[in-house]
Amino acid sequence: MNLSLMSLEIVVVLLGITVLMADLWLPAERKRMLGYAAAAALGLLFLNTFTSHCSCSLTDGQTASTAGGMFIQDGLSVFFKRFFLIAAVLVLILAVEFSDRIAVGVSEYYSLIIFALAGMLFAASANDFVMLFVSIELITITFYVLTSFTRGKVVALEAGVKYLILGALASAFMVYGIALVWGTTGKFNFSELSMVSAKFAENKLFLFGVLFILVGLGFKIAAFPFQMWTPDVYQGAPTPTTAFLAVGSKAAGFVLLLRFLFTAIPEVTAHWKNLLIVISGITILYGNLCAIPQRNLKRLLGYSSIAHAGYLLLGVAALTNAGQSAVLYYLSGYLFTTLAAFTVIALVMRHLDTEDISGLAGLSQRSPLLAATLTLAMISLAGIPPLAGFFGKFLLLKAVIEQGATNHGYYCLVFTALVGVVISLYYYFGVVRAIYWSKDVPDRSPICISRPMRLAVWVCIAGMFWLGLFPNAVLKLADSAVSVLK
Amino acid sequence: MNTSDHPYLFILLLGLSAVAFALIPLGLAWLWAKKYSPKKENAIKNATYECGLESKGDAWIQFKSEYYLYAIIFLIFDVETIFLLPFAVSFTGLGVGAFISLMVFLFLLVSGLAWAWLKGVLTWK
Repeated sequence: MNLSLMSLEIVVVLLGITVLMADLWLPAERKRMLGYAAAAALGLLFLNTFTSHCSCSLTDGQTASTAGGMFIQDGLSVFFKRFFLIAAVLVLILAVEFSDRIAVGVSEYYSLIIFALAGMLFAASANDFVMLFVSIELITITFYVLTSFTRGKVVALEAGVKYLILGALASAFMVYGIALVWGTTGKFNFSELSMVSAKFAENKLFLFGVLFILVGLGFKIAAFPFQMWTPDVYQGAPTPTTAFLAVGSKAAGFVLLLRFLFTAIPEVTAHWKNLLIVISGITILYGNLCAIPQRNLKRLLGYSSIAHAGYLLLGVAALTNAGQSAVLYYLSGYLFTTLAAFTVIALVMRHLDTEDISGLAGLSQRSPLLAATLTLAMISLAGIPPLAGFFGKFLLLKAVIEQGATNHGYYCLVFTALVGVVISLYYYFGVVRAIYWSKDVPDRSPICISRPMRLAVWVCIAGMFWLGLFPNAVLKLADSAVSVLK
Repeated sequence: MNTSDHPYLFILLLGLSAVAFALIPLGLAWLWAKKYSPKKENAIKNATYECGLESKGDAWIQFKSEYYLYAIIFLIFDVETIFLLPFAVSFTGLGVGAFISLMVFLFLLVSGLAWAWLKGVLTWK
C-alpha cells in the first residue's frame, strides 16, 4: 500500500487531531486564534499541492491508485482537492469571525470542519463503493454535529434533527443500493465494475441498486426530489456550517456522482439520459420558484442552492466531457460566490436574531465593501456577465445545446434553464434592492471587518472576477481533470 | 430460479423479507405473550413493576443526560476489544504493516479518550 499517495489526507486528519488537542492547553482567550492557525496550515497545504513533492503532483493524464484500487489520484481528484482546501480555508476564517456566537467548544468547531474536509478529500479520490460510503459518512456525520452546534437555539436543533433523520434515510438507501449492485455484479471497485456493467445494463436488480445509490448522492447535492432538507438546514445551521454545506458537501456529492456515473457505469448512464434531463429541469424550476417568496436570506440561498444543483446537473445530463468540465468550472465559480454571500450574511446579521432581508437595509452606507460584495455575489449567482456565474452557465448551456441533435429533450432542458435564470433575477435583485434602496434604515452603525476577513472577502471578489473574465486557466484544468471520465 | 428471469419478483421478495425480518419477531413476541401470560387484571398486575418500588410521578421529567458520555467512552473500549483480541491471537503471524495500522487505530481511539478525560468529562458533577 502506497501511503505517500494519501499524505495530504493523513496530514489533514492529523491537523484536525492537533487542533482538538491544542484546545486542552491553550488559554481561553487564545482559542479563537486557533482557527487562523488551522486556516494558515490548510493554506500552506493548498500551495503545496502545486509543488512537485506533493501527493497531488501528477503529470498530465497520469493516474495512480493505492489501497487495492480504492483510492485513486488523478486529474479529477486533484482538481477537487484544491477546491475543498480553498473552501475550508475561507470557511475557517469565517468560523473565527463567527466564534463569538458559539457558546462552548470553538476549537471543536474548527476541528470538525477539518474532519469534514478530510472526508471530502477522501471523496475526491474514492474509486470504490466502500470508500464512497465511508467518505460520505465522514462528511455527513460531521455535518450533523456542525449543523446543531449552536444548540441553545431551537432552529439549529430543528435543522440538526431534520438533517440527521433525512441523512440517515438517504444513507440507508445508498447502502441498500450498494448491496444490490454488489449482489448482482460482485464488484466494489469502480474500475472493475466498468468492465462488467455493460453486461448488467438490462438487469433490473442491478438498475435498482444504481437508482438507490443515486438517491443517496441526490440527497448530498440536494437534487429534486431529495431536496426537502435544504432550506430548513441552511436556515438553522450556523452560517459557516451553511457555507461549507453549500460548497463543500455539494461539491463532494458531485465528484462522487461524476465518478460513479462516468467511470463505473457509463453504459447505464447513457441509458438514463432522460432521467437526468427531467431531474435537472425539475430541480431548477423547484429551486427558483420556491425562492421567490422567501424573506430569510439563508433560506433564500438554500432554495437558490437547489436551483444551482439543477444547473450543475445540466452538465451531468449532457453526458459529454464538455458538460463535465462545465460542472467543474461552475462549481469553482459557485465556491467564491456562495462563500462571499455567506460571509456578508455572517458579518451583517451579527446582532440580529433572524436573517431577514430587511436586515440589509442601509448596508451601502454601513459598509460599502460588504454591500458591493453581496451585490456581486447576487449578480454572479443570477448569471450576469462579467462574473463567474455567467461564464459557468454559458458553458453548461453550450454543452447541453451541442447535444441537442441527439435528443430533443435537451432543447426543452435549455429552455427550462433559461426560464429559471429569468425567475432567479427577480429574487436576487430583491436582495440588491434591500441593500441600496431601502427606505427604512434602523441601524446606521458602521460594520468593522477584521483583517483576515477583509482578505477573505477580497479573495472571493477576485475569484468571481477572475473566473468571469479570464476563464482559460481554470477551464484548462477542468478539461484535463475530466479526461479520466467517459 | 434465475434472478434475471423474474427481476421484479426478486426485488419484491427482498422487500418483503426485509419487512418480515422486522415484523416476525414482534409478532412472535405478541403471540408468546398471548399464550403464556393470560389476562388476570388487577391492581398488582397492572403496576409498572410487579415487584420492586412503586414508581412515582410522571416519566416526562428532566434528568441528567451525562450518562451518554459514559456510553460513548465505553464504546471506545468496546470496539477496541473487538479488534485487539483477534490481533493478539494472531500476533506472531502478522507483519509490521499490521502492527502499525493497529497502532494508528489505537492512537485515534486513545486520543479521543485522552481528550475527553482532560476535558473533565469523566468527572461526575
